[in-house]
Amino acid sequence: MNMPISRILAFGLLLGTLAGSCKEEQYTYGVEDVLVQPVDLSGKKSKTPEQYLNILYANLYQKAMSANQLVKATDVITSIGDKQVAYETLISKFMNDPNIILPTEESMRNDPEAFVLETYQRFLVRIPTEAEKTWMINFINSHPDVTPEHVYYSFAIANEYYFY
Amino acid sequence: MKRREFIKKSALVTGAITVPYILPTGRLFAQTGSQKAEHVVLVLFAGGVRHQESILQHYLAESQDLDIEGNIMYNMLTGDAPELKVVYGTTPAGQQPGIQPISRILQTPLDKQGTLFPEVRFSKAGTGHFVGLSTGVSGHYGVTQGLRQRPINPTIFEYIRRYMNAKATDVWFVGNGIGNSTPLLNHSDHPDFGYRYAANFFAPNVTFGSKGVEFLKGFKVYHPDEELVPIREMQAFLNNSFNLAGKEIPHLYNTDEEKADIKNFIRTTFERLENNQVSFPPVTDNGDLSTIGYTTEILRWFKPKLTVVNMSSVDSCHGSYTSYLKSLHRGDHAVGHLWNFIQTQIPEMKDNTVMIIQPEHGRNYEPNPITDENDWFAFDHDSDANSRRIFTQMVGPNVPANLRVGSELNPVGDAADAVVTIADILGIKQDVLGRGLVDFNAMSLFDRI
Repeated sequence: MNMPISRILAFGLLLGTLAGSCKEEQYTYGVEDVLVQPVDLSGKKSKTPEQYLNILYANLYQKAMSANQLVKATDVITSIGDKQVAYETLISKFMNDPNIILPTEESMRNDPEAFVLETYQRFLVRIPTEAEKTWMINFINSHPDVTPEHVYYSFAIANEYYFY
Repeated sequence: MKRREFIKKSALVTGAITVPYILPTGRLFAQTGSQKAEHVVLVLFAGGVRHQESILQHYLAESQDLDIEGNIMYNMLTGDAPELKVVYGTTPAGQQPGIQPISRILQTPLDKQGTLFPEVRFSKAGTGHFVGLSTGVSGHYGVTQGLRQRPINPTIFEYIRRYMNAKATDVWFVGNGIGNSTPLLNHSDHPDFGYRYAANFFAPNVTFGSKGVEFLKGFKVYHPDEELVPIREMQAFLNNSFNLAGKEIPHLYNTDEEKADIKNFIRTTFERLENNQVSFPPVTDNGDLSTIGYTTEILRWFKPKLTVVNMSSVDSCHGSYTSYLKSLHRGDHAVGHLWNFIQTQIPEMKDNTVMIIQPEHGRNYEPNPITDENDWFAFDHDSDANSRRIFTQMVGPNVPANLRVGSELNPVGDAADAVVTIADILGIKQDVLGRGLVDFNAMSLFDRI
């Protein structure tokens, strides 16, 4: 029954050699793991005042703001500490300008879905979720005094509009 | 009463007395310090004021080698005006430039009404404007403070909002412009304070100047119920849909009511401008004077607990000594107008306001090579001993009248004292000192008297 020590040692050596030679090869591909999540906007960056004003102007006037106007408008925003107050005041000044280009109330009432889709695309550069679209359409339909100007103003002062 | 019952009741009563109550502001117990006044106005007489032409009243004698002395700041200081080479006033038609000194506003100069610390020191850091202003509002010398960087340590605005549970519209910083990072001084980047406790800010020469007229004046006022309610409802929905992760349009935690009030102030100020009703000083021919004029409008409207206003026109001394003298004279006119306005036009602040005046730093003793139209040399501020000499003046309730504290051989006071002094006036000195974030030499000027 007793196995000679030399045979035990030889068996162990063989086992060790086999274990060492069975190391699994690892392959590395040029693709990194990505965590898939629902639509998440938290990675957006804030616009600079210049970016915000440029985009806002283009959204409301459908043309570019001149460089001179941009410098002056940026200075005005800088001169007020609370940026929400500053932007809201400036946007409402734009809203008083007859040259601003807004959809008609008739077009909004006739096809609220198209209006909501177009407004999301224009301001937030994305398609609304079904829930967002439904809420907005219902809101417009249930508020006969709401105008396209009110909707545009709401989008322009929304936090998401400040990020890109 | 049984012994056990007595002990139980005693413990309850004792506990009720001694268990500290943590206020939402993060402090224990209510504010304990007694207030010396309910309002403070700090005038940062900034831009770099040379001691020789201000406190020492040497006019041209210690700068241009001309034996002409005199006081060109007679609303703030007692002393006779120069009689020769008068260039600092206004220019009547057909006469020499600056020949007409501006009439005094205050019959009793502020040094007679209050306390003057004639030899205060800007003791650390380089004598740069932003570092000086940052020290003035934070009580901390930002030795490593750079431009385009908010103060590292909390400002007095943040202390007041946090420890007095004050509203955003209770504290105002009025800037002379938007250059030199001035708009960054309304709050620090300190993690325990920051924008949640910031001051409201205006650079009114911009807000209400030609740019403001183009982009703000005549803004639409939405009906608060019929229009703003649905607008806010849609805005709230949009904000809730957006995964914010703390991201918002930057703001200062003004309430909706405060925001509406600020907008109303903007609208009204444009109207008052149009009707020549803004309370500008009698002579308003530079940016400092118009800034002070708008400051009186802010005081009248909001009646803040603290208002800090900065001036800067004297910095023209880098290139023109004559212009510097004019600006110094006008700075004094501005201060006189501001104090007179508080005492005569705002009943709620009359006799209930302490005003503190302090340059952010001084100017060099030796001139630079630049000469102006009068062949007078200009002066920079390069952190020499003279540019560390400043003064501080206080006036108002509980401030001793006609008192001078300190001398050249015995300087009393530090540029960092303003923050602790304001905290002392408003009753939060121990809270501010307890945080240990002001300069270790900073003291209330009341404690230095």
